[in-house]
Amino acid sequence: MTATVTSGDVRTAQVGARPNWSASSILTQVQVLSGRSLRTLVRDPRLVILSLIQPLVLLILFGQVFSSIAKTPGFPQGIGYIDFILPALLVTTALTSGLQSGVAVTTELRNGLIARFRSMPISTGSVLLARSVADVCRSFVELSVMALVAALLFGFAPPGGITGVLGSLAVAAVVCWSLGWVFMAFASWLRQPEILQTIGSLVTFPLMFASKAFVPISGLPDWLQGFATINPLSHAIEAARGMAMGKPDLTVLATAVGGCLLIALVFAPLALRSFRRP
Amino acid sequence: MISISNLTKKFDSVIALDDVSFSVPGGSVLGLLGHNGAGKTTVVNILSTLLKPTSGTATIAGLDVTTEGDKVRRRIGLTGQFATVDDTISGRDNLVLIARLLGASRRQAAQRADDLLTVFDLTDAAKRPVRGYSGGMRRRLDLAACLVGGPEVIFLDEPTTGLDPGARLDVWSLVESLVAQGSTVLLTTQYLEEADRLADLITVLSKGKVVASGTAAELKREIGQLSVNTVLAPGSDTGAALAALRAAGLTPVTAEQPDTIHTRVLSSADITVVVRALDSVGVRVTDVAFSEPSLDDVYLSLTPGRGATTAA
Repeated sequence: MTATVTSGDVRTAQVGARPNWSASSILTQVQVLSGRSLRTLVRDPRLVILSLIQPLVLLILFGQVFSSIAKTPGFPQGIGYIDFILPALLVTTALTSGLQSGVAVTTELRNGLIARFRSMPISTGSVLLARSVADVCRSFVELSVMALVAALLFGFAPPGGITGVLGSLAVAAVVCWSLGWVFMAFASWLRQPEILQTIGSLVTFPLMFASKAFVPISGLPDWLQGFATINPLSHAIEAARGMAMGKPDLTVLATAVGGCLLIALVFAPLALRSFRRP
Repeated sequence: MISISNLTKKFDSVIALDDVSFSVPGGSVLGLLGHNGAGKTTVVNILSTLLKPTSGTATIAGLDVTTEGDKVRRRIGLTGQFATVDDTISGRDNLVLIARLLGASRRQAAQRADDLLTVFDLTDAAKRPVRGYSGGMRRRLDLAACLVGGPEVIFLDEPTTGLDPGARLDVWSLVESLVAQGSTVLLTTQYLEEADRLADLITVLSKGKVVASGTAAELKREIGQLSVNTVLAPGSDTGAALAALRAAGLTPVTAEQPDTIHTRVLSSADITVVVRALDSVGVRVTDVAFSEPSLDDVYLSLTPGRGATTAA
């Protein structure tokens, strides 16, 4: 190889090579594709920083402004409001992270990157799977930062200790991964980031607020209590909270994780089907 | 290598492709010429397995694109408006990513990426995010990306649309070196000049139908509007100039201005014949230009007769 890059001979010799690689496994495809998404975040962490702003605002709002709720009747005794609210915020933030998976899919469907992948001999499923894996990793980092900030600035120190907090983070990661499939299914179907954002708020706000996230369920009006009980996020929040409090309830945990996995099981095939459509 | 027969594609009620047939022999370049909306990209999308045809068949190396998609995808490289690279990561990372997806080991992928970056003169920008690339650099990276796996068949969908003239020449010479190594290329373009320079055979699409096909020379002869335009020096004897051109066996016509003469010719080589004829009678020329039929001319001459000529 010489510096004469414009020489036709050099070009022909090198470009003409026909590499004899054997097909990549799905595992490699997922690993390579999720690595790509994560590398983008390391290079440009603005998305991570920006996505931390909303939960931090909520943290200040609820942790400081509404802390008087902890003095209302029906609130568990001997627990600081920040310890009550943070596991819930981890779960609801994980939900918005899942929405970002969907937004990323619409963007890449639009800019042609996915067309390139689809013209290559790789599984279309690994493109979506890689996206969900990358977003769970990103979400886990974001949520850990959030828990750390809460511990340092707002006195977050739940009875469950570090193990308990890691348990809450794991529950949040399951929520992010499973509900991510819901948003990826909508993304592959609608293919418009703007519409997806709107649907995202329509879906996330009721799930967030009509749940056990911010107040104990008995504090909600009757008609909302019904919804909050079947709301899958409620179970996840309860499970995450139980972990942080150092009193994990296996039934609640199984319901929460099982419910999330069921949602993923329904929406993943839908996402794949819409995604394969040209 | 590529063979399409009676291909039709409908999007709801819109007919994007209407009974299109053509074939591209191995190692040659077919230029698919047409305006926006003519159906060029639909053809490429069907051949690259992104779209399913409504009816008709398409094969690549004998493999059916609808039923043997995975084998087809191992043999093709796609580049163009609708298949792009990731602009948030670097050029090198893009090439490594594609090589890894195609089954290369880390080391093989890095080697292939570096080779291609050198060939496409992108070494200096290799580690910068693609977002900051110029249009020409981006297009070169696109080309490199579609070549990572050493495809037998390459689809170039409007490879120079939106590029400045310098970058366009660059891309042309790169495509020529690809062709020299024996790849089969399907090129779509809106520019007759581009098809003329790169393609062995040209197929003209209009509103989803094939309206003409043949070599560039055949198409131009059919349209017959190649001409040499000469501007005579002030005070020249236009009559003598016309007589000299007729004596040389050409058919000159004067244009709006009396000192401009259009002469019908068969190829650009006839410029010298025109100039010599004028020189022999002492007529001085201040400007000579060769004009080719544009894609518009192709349409204007082919589209009106379409209903009558496609009766078969």
